[in-house]
Amino acid sequence: MIDFSDEMLERYSRHILLKEVGVSGQEKILSARVLIIGAGGLGAPAAMYLAAAGVGTIGIADADVVDLSNLQRQIIHSTADVGKAKVLSAQETVNAMNPDVKVVAHRLFVDSSNIAEIISGYDFIVDGTDNFPVKYLINDACVLHKKPFSHAGIIQFKGQTLTYVPGAPCFRCVFPNMPPEGAVPTCRQAGVLGVMGGIIGTIQAAEALKYILGVGELLAGKLLVFDALTMNFRKINVNKAKTCPTCSEGAGIKLIDYAAPVCDLKKH
Amino acid sequence: MSEYDNYIDITAAVCPITFVKVKVALERTDDGKILYIKLNDGEPIQNIPRSLKDEGHKVVKIENNGDGTYGLYVVKNGL
Amino acid sequence: MSVALNGEKKDVGAEITIRNLLFKEKIKVHDYVTVQVNGEIISSKDYDSFVIKDGDEVEFLYFMGGGR
Repeated sequence: MIDFSDEMLERYSRHILLKEVGVSGQEKILSARVLIIGAGGLGAPAAMYLAAAGVGTIGIADADVVDLSNLQRQIIHSTADVGKAKVLSAQETVNAMNPDVKVVAHRLFVDSSNIAEIISGYDFIVDGTDNFPVKYLINDACVLHKKPFSHAGIIQFKGQTLTYVPGAPCFRCVFPNMPPEGAVPTCRQAGVLGVMGGIIGTIQAAEALKYILGVGELLAGKLLVFDALTMNFRKINVNKAKTCPTCSEGAGIKLIDYAAPVCDLKKH
Repeated sequence: MSEYDNYIDITAAVCPITFVKVKVALERTDDGKILYIKLNDGEPIQNIPRSLKDEGHKVVKIENNGDGTYGLYVVKNGL
Repeated sequence: MSVALNGEKKDVGAEITIRNLLFKEKIKVHDYVTVQVNGEIISSKDYDSFVIKDGDEVEFLYFMGGGR
């Protein structure tokens, strides 16, 4: 049981008033540990909202430094942070937002040699990365180590997300074959409306909070697809693939670093 | 004054922190036990009984203290 | 014959293979689209043989890789 100061009661009052949260819910949030892999378009808003909510421990993993082109959407960083390590910039923003939150800065690239150890210290993982080899690695590691996580991606005016909890379909159930480099356009090539990270990243944060609180329906077994041009959200039911190499019974998945083979496929 | 198991005075608080503090006190009260709440006339006495009922608690008695404050007895999860 | 494609009703003429529906929708690269018919994901090796029928619910799911 956490001893709430008057200041904490004031800070989290809008949470505590909710029947689904209350004092016990806010205690759960303050005791929770969420890891965000990638402090970019998706990870930035996710981290900020989780910090505002009072998630007690927020891990942020990213090896990069802040680039000017990031600022159009990675709102956790500002102009003065260009050139600074992303995890440090993110940590500073979070500390200023909420002193109740402890940020653990993992200044590294997540790979098959370190991911198991890193995720072991967290209750929920947010995939905010931008490349498929690491997205598949995150999927496999979370399934193997029974860690719930939120998968998401954005491009141009579209975004999508699904949530994995043990027993639900994993990302590989839906997308069994990793596309080679060049087969799928990146934000750098095709562009992205800045707010897409905010819309989808905040949904990822909402899923993390719902998981922590144990309320509502998660996007488990559902791919939520959003198109900002039409303002249409679609929730598509997806099933576990019986022969999924990651999550089917007896799959025996091993964590490897997927080197996306370079190809000369035309982009679609 | 009747019997109670737990006590909270929210006369110094301003809405909505008033109800937030009541929730904290209820958290520290067992199911079926009585929380006594001292609250002000005005917004608190107008809103809190209904909010308690919405959350499944049973208000069993309200006393007007005659000095601008009320005493409210609520059974945790009593509804 | 009509099917629901990505939630929208679509007239497709006669029964059609997944491959031909992908062509019809002007999808250039077929290998990295996940095709789901009536809730079941169809393996890409069956795109030429799997026939979509009247009233089927078809979803084309695409990779979206960006996060940064």
